[in-house]
Amino acid sequence: MSTVDETELPLAGILVIDVATVIAAPYCAGILGEFGAEVLKVEHPVGGDICRRYGTPTARGDTLAWLSEARNKKSVTIDLHRPDGVAVFKRLIEKADVLCENFRPGTLEKWGLSWETLHQINPGLIMLRVTGYGQTGPYKDRPGFARIAHAVGGIAYLSGMPKGTPVTPGSTTLGDYLTGLYGCLGVLMALRYREQTGIGQYIDAALYESVFRCTDELAPAYAMYGVVRERHGPTHNDFACPYGHFPTKDGKWIAIACATDKLFVRLAEAMGRPELASSGLYGEQKTRLENRHDVNEIVRDWCGSLTREEILQRCFATGAPAGPLNNIADIFGDRQFHARRNLVAIDEQDLGETIVVPSVIPRLSETPGKIRHLGPKLGQHTEEILEGLLGMGKEEISGLKKKRVI
Amino acid sequence: MSDQTVQDNTPLPDDPESAANSEANPEPARLPLTGIRVIDLGTFLAGPHAASVLGEFGAEVLKVEHPIAGDPMRRFGTPTKRHDATLVWLSEARNRKSVTLDLHQPEGVQLFLRLIGKSDVLIENFRPGTMEAWGLGWPELSAANPRLIYLRVSGYGQTGPYRHRSGFAHIAHAFGGLSYLAGFPGETPVLPGTVPLGDYFSSLYGAIGILMALRHRDKSGRGQIIDVGIYEAVFRQLDEIAASYGLLGKVREREGSGSFVAVPHGHFRTQDDKWIAIACTTDKMFERLAEAMERPELASSALYGEQRKRLAARNEVNQIVTEWVGSLPRTTVLNRCLDKEVPVGKLNSIADIFEDEHFQARGNLVTLEEPGLGEVVVPGVTPTLSMTPGRVHNLGPALGNATYEVMRELLGLAADDIKRLRQRKII
Repeated sequence: MSTVDETELPLAGILVIDVATVIAAPYCAGILGEFGAEVLKVEHPVGGDICRRYGTPTARGDTLAWLSEARNKKSVTIDLHRPDGVAVFKRLIEKADVLCENFRPGTLEKWGLSWETLHQINPGLIMLRVTGYGQTGPYKDRPGFARIAHAVGGIAYLSGMPKGTPVTPGSTTLGDYLTGLYGCLGVLMALRYREQTGIGQYIDAALYESVFRCTDELAPAYAMYGVVRERHGPTHNDFACPYGHFPTKDGKWIAIACATDKLFVRLAEAMGRPELASSGLYGEQKTRLENRHDVNEIVRDWCGSLTREEILQRCFATGAPAGPLNNIADIFGDRQFHARRNLVAIDEQDLGETIVVPSVIPRLSETPGKIRHLGPKLGQHTEEILEGLLGMGKEEISGLKKKRVI
Repeated sequence: MSDQTVQDNTPLPDDPESAANSEANPEPARLPLTGIRVIDLGTFLAGPHAASVLGEFGAEVLKVEHPIAGDPMRRFGTPTKRHDATLVWLSEARNRKSVTLDLHQPEGVQLFLRLIGKSDVLIENFRPGTMEAWGLGWPELSAANPRLIYLRVSGYGQTGPYRHRSGFAHIAHAFGGLSYLAGFPGETPVLPGTVPLGDYFSSLYGAIGILMALRHRDKSGRGQIIDVGIYEAVFRQLDEIAASYGLLGKVREREGSGSFVAVPHGHFRTQDDKWIAIACTTDKMFERLAEAMERPELASSALYGEQRKRLAARNEVNQIVTEWVGSLPRTTVLNRCLDKEVPVGKLNSIADIFEDEHFQARGNLVTLEEPGLGEVVVPGVTPTLSMTPGRVHNLGPALGNATYEVMRELLGLAADDIKRLRQRKII
């Protein structure tokens, strides 16, 4: 993706051990890898990370989700249920800067890999711990997935038609990505602190907490006024109107968001009805909110009378905030996605097919991140790492193999 | 810094090493971003949330606002008795100082460039071209401070054919492909959860970019630009949607309360008309659910033991779970599932959240005393760092509460000059 020397990337020289599964903590490792870190995915020798089976399988067996999200990682198999495996793992920890894990609290401890032990082996180690509920509190031992975190963290309750069945808020993995992002921030801050003090620390991230953190004023409004926010359906926002999804003449949908009065002026102009934005009518947010149904009805009628493309062109001409509800086919045909190179097609010999994945964000001007390769095969790099990084002899490696420790 | 109570909202009772646990010493001497100065010139949340996170972990954040009205987020959301602060503002402008400066006036621009000379990070989210029109393009900014790290968040990013379009999270959810997926198949697409989700996503990517750029600057001495489109941040959340369209031409549609990857995986109504979420991502999870339902035979290989079979028989499996959940009160369903370690959870409303012992134990709700308003409860800091936990030390500031301090102490202006700038409404 760029011509920048890899050694100049912000995380060049940082070694990350990703012993986690599925998406949340591994996504943190994925971002670190995009910006120059070496990431070793440590997996169980039989089956590996369950992300390899999450989603749509490819001819190779590993799913598309794995190929995309295990990008840039090297796969090293180690059985942590075996003392020999734990010993090898500890040797990796000696060399590592960051460890990402998402076992249920107590699992690493059971294997003799508690924070105290790891910190003793490597005082500079930074450890990201991701679980459904965090390392503390009464629910810490409960199993957690993003779906559950969306429910516990409050956003599932808010998604759907008023009083109707709450729906998935767009994607079942939102909470995983969010937690990967907060976790990655934690790791980067801990790296900075380590540079100043030499001391590592651990980051305790909970899926439900990342979700809850994205609920704007939900908590303060309940605390101050007792307001319990309910599901909003397609066109309801407590603070702005019109704000929502509207069907167009050709059976598609557009989103309109008039967060301020100025934006409503532009929409009224796009509709060819500037008088709607007069102070006598709906010029003020307060008036629009009070007459929500009337305003939405006017916008709905207008949208229904034109095709999506016509609506969008008129809105863009006046600067009204509108956009299409894109499906993935729309996205593949969209000029902005192509101009920004948000989709990158990667062809790897062993796959025999071209895989399109989302490219790196954020975009850094001097040190852009990169995708070097897609998710590796199980154990693809075990020997390379044990030999090259840990300096093990061939005999030791084949002994471990025979015992199925690696 | 602030006359408000300093609160440590991230207790780590299990961590005796952390000085931050002690009531007497609620803040470690050094946080990861101590000594870093951030100028937040953004409005609303996309970008500014990055400043919030940096501020929680020690950075000094100066919110630069127009002298008359300030950030429109001061008026967005539920009003309070403070005329310049909604609840959104109080919570999401946390840990800032407000400095007023009119960038439409040349003298305002000059002062801003002097401020940039004393800062490490600049965050803005205007439509591309706005900063340049004020004479604050990258050449001017980096001349004022070659070490500056510059986060730019906009609806569509700084490049591409749509870069000048106005973009909010709501539009980005639609454009980035998330809104299309929220709702029942063939029915109206609904808002995915909360209105500003995309603002948080884009800010998190922005904050990650800033921290990377700070590392690069430590080595190279040079700053750089981070360019984030809100729609890209939304699109990046969608697991394998691009890969499966690219390879198989599959267009993912709305999935109601379910998911394409696993069954049962969704929301179910309990006998007492409440909702729970169940997520049987793996076969083992379904086996446990079948046990909780006292119907272990459902998980046999002849019936629904394999994900593949459950996906093929989605409706039947969901029907069985719907009936079981509907026959019992929420507490009973939850307890039976938890006994068997089935991934399950309540669909919490905010009222449920305030009563929840786990939220309490983790310190996810922080209470600050705000003069004139009394207690204000806001979400705490996430993630939790063991040695250097972040903190919320003040809520959204009054407009211009630090203008004098910054002009006088940081820029070294004379009191008379400050008075003159105020009279001319430059500050």
